[in-house]
Amino acid sequence: MLAENIIRQLLSGLSMGMVVFIIAAGLSLIFGTLKVLNMAHGAIYMFGAFLCYWLTSWLPNVPGIFWWSLVIAPLGSAIFGGIIEILLLRRIYGLDMMYQWILTFGLILFIGDICRLLWGVDYYMVAPPWPLNGPVEIFGVFFPAYNLFVMMLGPIILMGIGAMLRFTRLGRVIRAATFNPEMVGALGVNVPLTFTLVFMLGCWLAGLGGALVAPMTAVSLGMDAAVIIDCFIIVVIGGLGSTLGAFIGAIIFGLSYALGILVAPKLAIAIGFVIMAVILIIRPWGLLGRPE
Amino acid sequence: MILEAERVSKSFGGLKAVSDVSLQLEKGELSSIIGPNGAGKSTFFNLLSGKFRPDSGRILFKGEDITGLAPHKICRKGTSKSFQRQNIFPRLSAFDNIQIAVLSEQKRIRNIVSPAKNQCRGETNQVLERVGLADKQNRLAGYLSYGDQKRLEIGIALATRPRLLLLDEPTAGMSPEETVSITHLIQKLAREQALTLLFVEHDMSVVFGISEKIRVMHLGRIIAEGNPEEIQANEEVQRVYLGETT
Amino acid sequence: MKQNQVLSLVQRKRLLGLVATALCLVLLPRVISLGYLSLVIEMMILGVAACGLNLIMGYAGMVSFGPAGLYATGAYATALLIVRFDIPFTWAMIAGPVAAALAGVIIGWFCVRRTAVYFALLTLAFSQIIYTVVFVWYSFTGGDNGIVGIKTPPILSSIDNYYYFTLITSAACLAAMWMICNSSFGKALKAIRENPERAEFIGIHVRRYQLAAFVLSSFFLGAAGSLYCCFNHNVFPVYAHWSKGADILVVCLLGGMFHFWGPIVGSVVYILLDKIIVSFTQYWPMVLGLIVVLAVLFLRGGIAGFISSRALVKAAQQSSGGDR
Repeated sequence: MLAENIIRQLLSGLSMGMVVFIIAAGLSLIFGTLKVLNMAHGAIYMFGAFLCYWLTSWLPNVPGIFWWSLVIAPLGSAIFGGIIEILLLRRIYGLDMMYQWILTFGLILFIGDICRLLWGVDYYMVAPPWPLNGPVEIFGVFFPAYNLFVMMLGPIILMGIGAMLRFTRLGRVIRAATFNPEMVGALGVNVPLTFTLVFMLGCWLAGLGGALVAPMTAVSLGMDAAVIIDCFIIVVIGGLGSTLGAFIGAIIFGLSYALGILVAPKLAIAIGFVIMAVILIIRPWGLLGRPE
Repeated sequence: MILEAERVSKSFGGLKAVSDVSLQLEKGELSSIIGPNGAGKSTFFNLLSGKFRPDSGRILFKGEDITGLAPHKICRKGTSKSFQRQNIFPRLSAFDNIQIAVLSEQKRIRNIVSPAKNQCRGETNQVLERVGLADKQNRLAGYLSYGDQKRLEIGIALATRPRLLLLDEPTAGMSPEETVSITHLIQKLAREQALTLLFVEHDMSVVFGISEKIRVMHLGRIIAEGNPEEIQANEEVQRVYLGETT
Repeated sequence: MKQNQVLSLVQRKRLLGLVATALCLVLLPRVISLGYLSLVIEMMILGVAACGLNLIMGYAGMVSFGPAGLYATGAYATALLIVRFDIPFTWAMIAGPVAAALAGVIIGWFCVRRTAVYFALLTLAFSQIIYTVVFVWYSFTGGDNGIVGIKTPPILSSIDNYYYFTLITSAACLAAMWMICNSSFGKALKAIRENPERAEFIGIHVRRYQLAAFVLSSFFLGAAGSLYCCFNHNVFPVYAHWSKGADILVVCLLGGMFHFWGPIVGSVVYILLDKIIVSFTQYWPMVLGLIVVLAVLFLRGGIAGFISSRALVKAAQQSSGGDR
């Protein structure tokens, strides 16, 4: 009984961690290239989740609608992000970080209320799609197949981002910009376009996370506030700007949270913040970040 | 002897920026350090002012070991540095820029009770006049001309009443007129205040015009030391600078 | 000499303005209804909190995501002392800000070692830790149910009297902050904001001054928290949630971070907007979000910055007209 409980809890923590990794990877990419900590990242994730719910509830009889929404929701989030970047962020890049934080915080309020306007304050459930709509037996316990699928998606996304960074032109530019922002402009790269694409990519990941999470938990207002804090914790552990760091951070966070639930359930929610504080105190650039 | 560096070294990663440099400064000396780009002059300055800690060697100020002390402590001992790039407080007025340095020097900066507006006005105005900015004291420092910002720069460094003033490329980026006026200012200050002045410069007219003593650095070492005539005649210095545009 | 006359004219105008405002505030309960009086009390309390935050934000240039934690520390300290330990009201009210200041010493000591993003995230982490402690420690802090029924002395049970109490206390806090901001210490903070490296090089021990500013800021945030919990007669964990801290940040921005009275203006405007817009639409967050975005894009100095630059332009025009 106890062993089953532990395994189930650890799997649960890992699958949650992988979802937050996907979202946090977007946050990390945006910070690494644009040097902006996008406070509204959670709001875009929530927008993606709502898009997924909306599609699946509007067209329930279309076969494979969930998989379609997995394509459309991130795209919608990316487009939304692109609009935000072009209209708003471009004007404030040179400014003190504080203004960027406050502006993106304003966006949290705005986007959150847009979601309220469009979808109201209810909790919505999205059913896991066929063929993942049942439990599967793993390590001797029964665990939702869908959650397992999401957990396996994490490393795939990590490799996908890694491949993009290695083999595409955009990826090379991103890596260069993370190391030396000024040089990139001098190399003839279209910096504004690059920034827009990177921001859109980050929002795409956030939207993907939102769509993926819809069958795992309830879609509702307030999910943005919860996830953005988790994202901060993960990127602090792993290092701002490092995708692999975010992945490792997500695993550490997910497992710690699961252990916390097993050992001291009431204090589990504090674990993330304590880890975050400890890392910021002793090694602020995290596991794989660069000391300034 | 007011400043002595004993075999000071500093490396960054694999690169030895300053290698076994020894130097003695007499009180009241007006001297400069020159050398090609990358010779280690700025790094050496940063060691003297406390921004970096030497890997080895000692730095003695007025006989006291100041190696590795924090910058604010070194300032209190009597060394002040004026920076290469403009390093002022841009959104404060010129008056405030100087006044804060004066208040700090007089140890009044900790006061959280008395209004600061009129404290040390006399001393602040004195410094402003000395650097020629008395009539511009209410302008925001960020809006001053480049040359005036440099004067403010030097003024801030002066306001802490140093015995030794380090000037890192004081005429960098200036027009010929501005260069002449800053050079005159430096000379005037050295005479009036019995300051010891050590500066790094690339402009050879300034260096040979006002230095009493010149030291030449190359690849982290001092390769020559002497008065302007000796340095001009030095073959190794000529070789090091051959092909360099000044 | 003409300049000196002009200056003292400005000073006389300011003094007159101050006296007039004071008079209005004292007579206010005679003029407006209890509902609006409550609003003014909230404005004053939020003003103290925002000015407290601005000590580190606008003056020292340190952006904190965690003012809510310190605000809540003050509120909970006062509430717990009154309800659980039967401490007299006056002592509990003093203990609130003191507790917040002590928390500020510990939190600040860790936080000022870090800059910019890391500083902000660490303040957030600490604030959320406080939130979690308050939320979870059900037996002591009442957890999600908070602490209700905080008793205040009978003389303060009427809104009129609590208004005067808040007026006096807020005025005292603001006067103290005014004194700090205009002192040499305040100027040192501004120097640190503008150029921390240079400040270090003229003899200012930057970290120590930043810690001092953080502790002072925490004191006044805690004072605001104590005032609020006694006004509402309750305190809940949500006081410590980071979103409340973000509200205070927004107030500072809207009002203007680079002037002393900016946050005060910001708190008045914020609460007015809150009540007015809510009566028109339920989508107050959307409107506020839009206002925040527009403020960052077009009015970074806030309302105070806008008014001040207009006044400067006017003064320049007048003096140039007079001298020439």
